[in-house]
Amino acid sequence: MKPDFPGTMKASNRAPDGERRARAPFSVRSAPLELRMLALALVIAITLSLMSPYFLKPANLLNLLDQSVVTGIVSIGMTFVILTGGIDLSVGSLVGLTGVILGLSLHHFPIPVAIALAVLSGAGIGLFSGFIIAYFDLAAFVITLGVMAIGRSLAYIFSGQTSISDIPASLNDLVYTTVFGVQTNVLTLLVLYALAWGYLTFTKGGRTIYAIGSNREAARTAGLSVLFYSVVPYVVAGALSAIAATLMSSQILSIDPLAGTGLELDAIAAVVIGGASLYGGRGTIIGTLIGVFIMVMIRNGLNLLGVSPFWQGSAIGAIIIAAVLAERLLSPRTRR
Amino acid sequence: MTDEPLFEARDISKSFAQTRALVGANLTLRAGATHALLGANGAGKSTLSRVISGHVGRDSGVIRYRGAPLDARSPREALDAGIAMVMQETSLAPDLSVLENIFLPDLGRPGRLSRAAMRRRARDILSDLGQAGALSLDAEAGELSAAQRQLVEIAKALALKANLIIFDEPTASLSPSEVERLFDVIARLKSAQCAIVFVSHRLEEVFAISDEITVMREGRTVAASVATSSLNQTELVRLMVGRELGAIYAARAPAAAYGEPVLSIRGLKAPPLVRDVSFDVHRGEILGLGGLVGAGRSETVETIFGLRPRAGGEVRLEGRAFAPRTPAQAIRAGFGFVAEDRRRQSIVPDLTVRENLLLGHLGAHRGFGLGYAKRERRIAQLMERLELPAHRLAEANLLNFSGGMQQKIIIARWLLLEPKVLILDEPTKGVDIGTRASIYAILRDVAATGAAIVVISSEFEELLGLAQRVIVLSDGTSIADLPTAHLDEEKLTLLAAPRSSMERCRNLLQELASQCDGAAFWAILDEERVFCLNAAAANANADPALRVGTAPRFEETSIATGLRARSREFVADSKSGLQSLLVDVRSERGHELGSIGVVIRADRPAPPAAAMRETIQQRFRATL
Repeated sequence: MKPDFPGTMKASNRAPDGERRARAPFSVRSAPLELRMLALALVIAITLSLMSPYFLKPANLLNLLDQSVVTGIVSIGMTFVILTGGIDLSVGSLVGLTGVILGLSLHHFPIPVAIALAVLSGAGIGLFSGFIIAYFDLAAFVITLGVMAIGRSLAYIFSGQTSISDIPASLNDLVYTTVFGVQTNVLTLLVLYALAWGYLTFTKGGRTIYAIGSNREAARTAGLSVLFYSVVPYVVAGALSAIAATLMSSQILSIDPLAGTGLELDAIAAVVIGGASLYGGRGTIIGTLIGVFIMVMIRNGLNLLGVSPFWQGSAIGAIIIAAVLAERLLSPRTRR
Repeated sequence: MTDEPLFEARDISKSFAQTRALVGANLTLRAGATHALLGANGAGKSTLSRVISGHVGRDSGVIRYRGAPLDARSPREALDAGIAMVMQETSLAPDLSVLENIFLPDLGRPGRLSRAAMRRRARDILSDLGQAGALSLDAEAGELSAAQRQLVEIAKALALKANLIIFDEPTASLSPSEVERLFDVIARLKSAQCAIVFVSHRLEEVFAISDEITVMREGRTVAASVATSSLNQTELVRLMVGRELGAIYAARAPAAAYGEPVLSIRGLKAPPLVRDVSFDVHRGEILGLGGLVGAGRSETVETIFGLRPRAGGEVRLEGRAFAPRTPAQAIRAGFGFVAEDRRRQSIVPDLTVRENLLLGHLGAHRGFGLGYAKRERRIAQLMERLELPAHRLAEANLLNFSGGMQQKIIIARWLLLEPKVLILDEPTKGVDIGTRASIYAILRDVAATGAAIVVISSEFEELLGLAQRVIVLSDGTSIADLPTAHLDEEKLTLLAAPRSSMERCRNLLQELASQCDGAAFWAILDEERVFCLNAAAANANADPALRVGTAPRFEETSIATGLRARSREFVADSKSGLQSLLVDVRSERGHELGSIGVVIRADRPAPPAAAMRETIQQRFRATL
């Protein structure tokens, strides 16, 4: 073949990448992740409302929000942790343990002090796991698995293996007071999501958490405080477990050392359905909220339809797998 | 040369998502020939290589190999057909040993493997590459340096005994001596009738090694199988970038008189790789840090930047003692650091391009919020200065950019902070020629505004073209500090030689010195200066005062007459009362390696010069 010399070619000083890139029409693939998840949530909502006349009733919708509170709050902390590329299996057992701490504190202290003690102990345990994981560079899965076992065991020991029900009835106000017609527990949920969203989007700490999960080494080289912000998410997760425990106990006025069993799996599922990557760096707090709603809606819908609770696990599991699979198949980005 | 091509690819097209990487690319290869595949970054060389080696499928086009159509849908199928590729981004398994990595492709085949035979073969391959003693077969691949990983990658391809080997930028992280070894290996493969594809950004290498050249631009083949001898460098660059390029290195600014150093390093120690490093760098100066890969250059600057713990030594920034324990402290004190491995140390793929640019700001920023707003204006200026399209800042993934664009964004990350000291580790690795020239221009501008710049480079040509002064490191010790005006690649190569051979050379000099109760040195002489590479003295009275790593003028030494005369006999210098003999030395291959000098007092009887020359030449060869 003869060489093709520049004289015979079209003058070209075009940017090689930019111009060769074809304009993509708007498509499912190019839409932001949250929009796709929101669409999925709507599809589920519409399907359920077609199948059950009760689903769209205002009472049921409020019920849905009410049911989202505990999982929703715990999922915020889980989002933080997963964004750094970690995982926290201890949140469920921390809900049990901090609940028990709250119950015991209520015997001696006024309500605000008792709540503060519960939140501080949750944060303290989070600090413990986070520090061990980040400082010694250990697997989050293993350390939090250990903390999970310890937490549940302490919950049994502190509570004397029974539920605590002699707690002040005024705790009920924490949940059932309404502001602008919204229950305070739902309000707490929404406020916490707003705060978390603001933190992750508009603060140095939030962006650092993303950077750590995406490329720890690059974050370090750019001067970000990798150790500190690797620990923060576990502290947040611990503290939020205590807040979830507080709202849970306030609602039923009884504290069970078994409370929150399996909650960590629901939270992980919500975060993953919300589009986060377990490798870290990818995911949003809004996505997680949608993920929580999807989970709760399916539970609620299956209840309304009279599906046996034993089948619900299969349904939730199938949704998780389908959501993650759809995300992979639709994602324009290839896996790293 | 031969008739039927071994390999032929026609009209290959390939698109990734929305990007058309290949648009009708052609490549024809003959057995027993080295074929250079060239093009600016993003031209499609790597994609074409990966199509050929089965790593990615093609959308359309025909491939014929050994006269039959070939449709390799996986690297495995390509390997079975005898096509191997040395990847640019290394594809080693970090937890496996060097040995296991070399034979990784064999582990995918059924049947049993003999570990002893594997070891033997691996050792042979590594010694061909000149790494026999340097690279342990049992080391974990994840622990290796970039150059060592690249060498293992090459060894892996050689172990396959393929007929067609694609080297995708194999020399990017190798030192000159390693490159020379690799070229020997390629020559041997060539004579064994292999077809070699050589992808490189370094045009000198292309001219040194290739028989034919194919040039790609924007996914197309714009020149196919042109004989290398029929092209010159200018024509080649024009083919690659589609336009004329000025000189890549602008005229070097003369080494001005600098004031107090901005950064002053004394006896820096960070075991195991940094042993004793000292240097100064001044405002407005571009300082080069040279040496072989593994000499501790990256580790030195990482220690200064607070990325590695420091075991000893002193660092002064603007006269004040300074010891950062974290990069954040260094950044706030005025350091910027463009690390060597962009993908691993610089790019955060899940943040937008804009946030990647702002990442250094975020590290330096104190406060709860982001403080992005106050950087807006400066970002706009920088984007213009770096000739980057501002609208691309909004893009989601920096990894979609070409290597050159990525590097500009990372450099902008630090320029945004207006650092006092900007350190760049291999700033033009994997960067095309056009972008290189503009990066050099930017660095010069930044230096002109008063920053001190430290550049590490394995390309001696780059060091000489860009820096005003070069510090040479060897085995973690700074051994020379010379203005580039007095240096050339040959001198740098010899200065950077690894310690082990320097040690043997020193022993030889020591012996010579004590034999004649005088001094001995190894140096390169040009018209007016003597570059001292190594020296030893047995008699303090006969010491010509040549320090290793310096380049005094002849008249500044006490043996000026002898250095000027270049006689085959001993020459006395009346002023100092010393007499000296210079003996030119060469390598086995006849390569000139400077001169060995012997100095004795003039009042002593001189030994017979001819016999002396003979022994020195013989024994010097043995030290190499």
